Amino acid sequence: MANEQFYERFPRAQRLEHWLLVFSFTVLAVTGLPQKFAGDAWAETLIAGMGGIEMVRVIHHLAAIVLLLESVYHGVVVAYKMFVVRVRWTMFPQLQDAADALNAVLYNLGVRKNAPEFDRYSFAEKAEYWALVWGTVIMAFTGFMLWNPIITSRFLPGDAIPAAKAAHGAEAILAALAIVIWHFYHVHLKTLNRAMFTGKLSAPEMRAEHPAELARIQAGASEPIPAPALIAQRRRGFIPIATVVSILLLLGVFLFITAETTAVTTVPKPSAKVQVFAPRTLTPTRVPTRAATALPGQTPIAQPTQKPSIGPAPIPASHAGRAVCQVCHVTGVGTAPKNPADHAGRLDASCTDCHKPK
Amino acid sequence: MKLAVRVSMILALVALAAISAALLFSVPADAQGPVLADPECLGCHADSNLIKTLPSGELLSLYVDAALVAESVHGKKNIACAQCHSTITRFPHPEFVVADRRDVTLKLYGQCRQCHAENYSKSLDSAHTRALAGGDRNAAVCTDCHTAHTVTPPDQPRARIPQTCAQCHSTIFDDYAKSVHGADVLNGANPDVPTCIDCHGVHNIGDPTTAAFRLKSPEICAGCHTDPKRMAKYKISTNVLNTYVADFHGTTVQLFEKQSPDTPTNKPVCYDCHGVHNIRKPNDPNATVFKENLLKTCQQCHPDATDQTFTAAWMSHFDASPAKYPLVYYVNLFYTILIPLVIGGMALFVALDIYRRVRRLTPNADKPKTNRE
Repeated sequence: MANEQFYERFPRAQRLEHWLLVFSFTVLAVTGLPQKFAGDAWAETLIAGMGGIEMVRVIHHLAAIVLLLESVYHGVVVAYKMFVVRVRWTMFPQLQDAADALNAVLYNLGVRKNAPEFDRYSFAEKAEYWALVWGTVIMAFTGFMLWNPIITSRFLPGDAIPAAKAAHGAEAILAALAIVIWHFYHVHLKTLNRAMFTGKLSAPEMRAEHPAELARIQAGASEPIPAPALIAQRRRGFIPIATVVSILLLLGVFLFITAETTAVTTVPKPSAKVQVFAPRTLTPTRVPTRAATALPGQTPIAQPTQKPSIGPAPIPASHAGRAVCQVCHVTGVGTAPKNPADHAGRLDASCTDCHKPK
Repeated sequence: MKLAVRVSMILALVALAAISAALLFSVPADAQGPVLADPECLGCHADSNLIKTLPSGELLSLYVDAALVAESVHGKKNIACAQCHSTITRFPHPEFVVADRRDVTLKLYGQCRQCHAENYSKSLDSAHTRALAGGDRNAAVCTDCHTAHTVTPPDQPRARIPQTCAQCHSTIFDDYAKSVHGADVLNGANPDVPTCIDCHGVHNIGDPTTAAFRLKSPEICAGCHTDPKRMAKYKISTNVLNTYVADFHGTTVQLFEKQSPDTPTNKPVCYDCHGVHNIRKPNDPNATVFKENLLKTCQQCHPDATDQTFTAAWMSHFDASPAKYPLVYYVNLFYTILIPLVIGGMALFVALDIYRRVRRLTPNADKPKTNRE
């Protein structure tokens, strides 16, 4: 339509900020929530898919760095707008917002005839912005504590760390649900608001979403742009302060990332070295006491001449040619030595296996 | 005729029964039948002076105490010498050639496999067999733990188990004997506390120095420490595994165990803090987790932690409550209220907004139309 007019809503720089936020928030949620619910199957699948828990933590930290840097940048930009350009504080919560919220509910219920007319930022947008600020501050502080527990414990009691973990995880759930319910509904479901992509809204969209702002623009009450000389004067005060604050904040981010390596210095974990093989005796196999006593000695063993009982007795020379041993030796005929009891049942054929001729 | 048939049938049945009984009651190796009867072996080996000097210079007694053998599990089943010493088939037997005393054991222990195939093949997966295959002749084989001739039930009494392992692992035994577990086994034969094999397994004893063993180890401890029956006796919390897994350390270890069981992690398992064999009660002043010793234990991995406050970052297996870790408890409580409040409020607002839009689409709802006019 020829007469269709567009109104700028978000300049390129703000849209870029939003994309940084979309990226870091999404990555933080996708890598963070599975850590909170690590026992659940879906979380394990996600963690495995992202390369394991240690990789997930590295990605989470990288996304946190992006969000921290974006937050520092945002702070500086907001300060510049507030103190140098001195814009209207359109994002600042006002009593009107509470009234708008109440009226919106009443309108939805059909109690009120007309919808509340929003200015540049509706109560819903302000709520989301400030929830994000609150959430980021909480996440940054608790995240620092989890990332740097040793330094934290120098300033705070130790139980602040598990408390930080509890807050970090709970805040994450709050943030993720708020985005899904509040943000997605208002800018994607209720109406597809393209302002963050294109930077502008059409006149009908302005009428529907920001009628008060549209009226203001149409009345010609656009914001007065300060004279360049005035801006330059204000900058002279702003830039040194902003530089110092930015450097401090960036140092804070640097400290955040590098201050502590926790257990990393001990990879791989030093395992306690124990002497595994430490036998109680040099010879773990058991030896009968008789032999054991003999062991340390020189040779108190088997000397057939001294101890005839050891080993089979030799066959005397006079026995040459004899083959029937048992005839005499079973009963011990004459001087023939009687077979020991354990020889019972042995046959002639096996005698010479042990008893050799002299 | 009839009688003859009946008699022959009965005879056949008796014969069948006799054959079955013979098959049933025979010891497996009996099938071949020992070539030699025990008295023949003992003819020589009952001589306590039968001692051989081995090429290594060591002395080897060839004496067998028949009385002890008879009392052994094998003796009670009348297993003959030659059933195990199955290479000896005649008397006299060929010389048994060995280099040294250890060689005797290593050449003979394989005989156990004949009857104990299952445990034998289990042992093939053990750290001992792997060490043996790697050239460590000291690595334990069947007879080192069970003995050869005087085998009796190895767990009777139960305190005998750690004593058996102590033959080679004496320094570990000394640690264990002083531990809360070991002291109870050795002094009181308490059946609730673990012996070596309860944690390490019996025949397929794994290598406890691998990453896989370490990652799986919390399950070993949890086997008893999450058993309410057993823990109630000693008033020990069964929540120890849950609280461990809920924390950073345990979460990591559990994920490693499931997803990359062979990758080492520097996050601690139970025994990294509590000690391995020297585990003591947490309130024992010598315990690694005793309050005053805890910082030193943390420093194993966190060398930079020099502040006693750091140890409180670990919630000592407690669940947060107003009494224990109140800060954590109240943070949780805060969010338990805040999340439903905020999200509920948002959802309610969104629902109302949808309600209005749907109502306006409905043709019968004429109210909004009037409003517009």
